[in-house]
Amino acid sequence: MSDNLLSVRELVIHYETDEEVVEAVNNISFDLKKGEILGLVGETGAGKTTTALGIMGLLPPKVANVISGSVELDGNDLLRMTDRQMRKIRGKRISMIFQDPMTALNPVKTVGDQISEVVLLHDRCSKAEALRRAQEMLGMVGIVPERYRDYPHQFSGGMKQRIVIAIALACRPDLLIADEPTTALDVTIQAQILDMMRNLQKENGTSMILITHDLGVVAEMCDHCAVMYAGELVEYGTVEAVFDHPKHPYTEALYRSIPSLDKDVERLHVIPGMVTDPASLPAYCSFADRCGDACGMCRTLDPKVLDLGGGHTVKCLKYTSKWEGKTDGKTESA
Amino acid sequence: MLKYIVKRILYLIPILLGVSAIIFALKTITPGDPARQILGNEASEEQVQAKREELGLNDPVVVQYLRYIGGIVTGGDFGDSYRTGEPVLSEIVPRLWTSAKITFGAVIIGAAVGVLLGIISALKKYTWADSLVLVISMFFQSVPEFVVALVLIMIFAVNLHLLPATGLESWQGYIMPMLCIGLSSVAGYTRITRSSMLEVLGEDYIRTARAKGQSESNITVHHALRNAMIPVAQSVGTNLGNAIGGGMVLETVFGVPGVGKYIVDSITQRNYPSVLGGALIIAMVLTVINLIVDVSFVLIDPRLKTTIISGGAKRAPKKKIKAA
Ligand SMILES: Nc1ncnc2c1ncn2[C@@H]1O[C@H](COP(=O)(O)OP(=O)(O)OP(=O)(O)O)[C@@H](O)[C@H]1O
Ligand SMILES: [Mg+2]
Repeated sequence: MSDNLLSVRELVIHYETDEEVVEAVNNISFDLKKGEILGLVGETGAGKTTTALGIMGLLPPKVANVISGSVELDGNDLLRMTDRQMRKIRGKRISMIFQDPMTALNPVKTVGDQISEVVLLHDRCSKAEALRRAQEMLGMVGIVPERYRDYPHQFSGGMKQRIVIAIALACRPDLLIADEPTTALDVTIQAQILDMMRNLQKENGTSMILITHDLGVVAEMCDHCAVMYAGELVEYGTVEAVFDHPKHPYTEALYRSIPSLDKDVERLHVIPGMVTDPASLPAYCSFADRCGDACGMCRTLDPKVLDLGGGHTVKCLKYTSKWEGKTDGKTESA
Repeated sequence: MLKYIVKRILYLIPILLGVSAIIFALKTITPGDPARQILGNEASEEQVQAKREELGLNDPVVVQYLRYIGGIVTGGDFGDSYRTGEPVLSEIVPRLWTSAKITFGAVIIGAAVGVLLGIISALKKYTWADSLVLVISMFFQSVPEFVVALVLIMIFAVNLHLLPATGLESWQGYIMPMLCIGLSSVAGYTRITRSSMLEVLGEDYIRTARAKGQSESNITVHHALRNAMIPVAQSVGTNLGNAIGGGMVLETVFGVPGVGKYIVDSITQRNYPSVLGGALIIAMVLTVINLIVDVSFVLIDPRLKTTIISGGAKRAPKKKIKAA
């Protein structure tokens, strides 16, 4: 077929609770090539974690519903796999690093056991061999291998995240999903961890989805960038395209909200309005109510994803003939 | 660790002094002359006086108390039973052994059944199985132990003739007392297991295990259970106290020659040395068992190793900083 490792098509995920239906992921599609790093950015509640859990098949049962779409790994739809088949893929072909390293490790098991567990699950080998591999992984993430007998509480936060990474990479997965791997850590450690992840990623040729709030991290590490807003992919493209020529008003607003040292700004630009509540999405463009460029049509139509060429896509009316220009009430303060 | 254990044993001293002082005070307040009791109504006043002198009952209470404590500390002498004249200690030890077997069996039954029910209701939360477990465990908690005991006797001894109604002549005699005491603690274990299991299953490290591709059954057994058992193990200590309390009544119902029945009998006979000795020995045994339970937590929860070794010494200054 193609050299796509992962191919997400028209994925829709809802959370259904007694009170409301949260439309967390709405019709998103993207591809990921082998060895490529995709940055997934967006405000809190945009549905980034939900997308990741959807790919892993780890959405909370009962509450979360995959309404439609497909997630293909090498052409096989993960959403149609049985639990058993998925268990063979998790940890072996796709690994995930979660947001908070402090609570991600089992407090009553040695870190060596926790790393060797995943090796024993997927690779046919003896316990001793798995433990040897665990020590090797510890060394790889920069922890003295002899500490494999220690328990999680004996490590610092940054070290715990290294251990979590060691677990995720122990079986040399094809795809690593890292959900804000450094948000919970000290700024100085953040850089170290990201550096290490990039090196390991290069060595093993792992593809990666890096979920983050930090556009700087995306610029530094990623090949492609996907911007999510209210469960939709509003812009997607190479990092160069999305950073140098942002098309979607939300992406532009995100850039303006980054504090910069060289520009003399009096205050940080804040995106006006509240994050759109995914429990009550409008029938039109979900960003229209916060958008400086919105026109009357923007509050009537829900735009389609538009290919601007070179794989740069945007979901905005601005680039169609239907756009009527900025409306009077809202002026942009650029 | 050793320091912690020694400290815990030292805590025992004021507890035992307190218990013995209270019972000693009771002994002096309650009417009736132990010497007369021992000798019977036919004895002459001179004989009674001589006995009082012999027992040291004419000395001030404080002197009597100190002499009693001295006896325990120097020679493990808990005094002699008024009724038999035998040393209290040698009467209690075999009975203690009997009670220990029953209590131990009861705790195992209670914990095993309770933990199992708790796991089931956690894994099947909000289903009929969960509700059924709740009803069953509530039932055994709210019905008094002696009622359960009488019902069991009716069914298994009187109607079915499967088990002896009283006594411990055969091993079958142990079954009903163990069941009764054990079942009363099931509800507690079930509730603690259920809630801690549910909490643990929602933890991030369970999700990590799922992300590794681990199966749900392995996750329950290898990741969740051991973490969920920490609060359960903590409750074993408290439960033991209840089991011993419940045992006192039930030993009488089932005619079990244990410490409980010994103490209850001694109370009705105003046999103070036996009451006092029994109470003190039970307090000691309880403390030691609680200590063993606490220390064994380290085996379950490695995080405790550091807190237990450093003990309270580290915690105290923290509070001071907060207050300042
Ligand atoms: N278990 C759940 N039940 C109901 N709603 C949920 C659940 N988990 C997430 N949601 C909702 O789904 C939406 C998307 O959540 P998600 O966690 O995917 O956001 P996110 O982009 O990862 O945000 P953050 O950057 O804060 O991690 C949010 O509105 C959230 O409230
Ligand atoms: Mg998230």
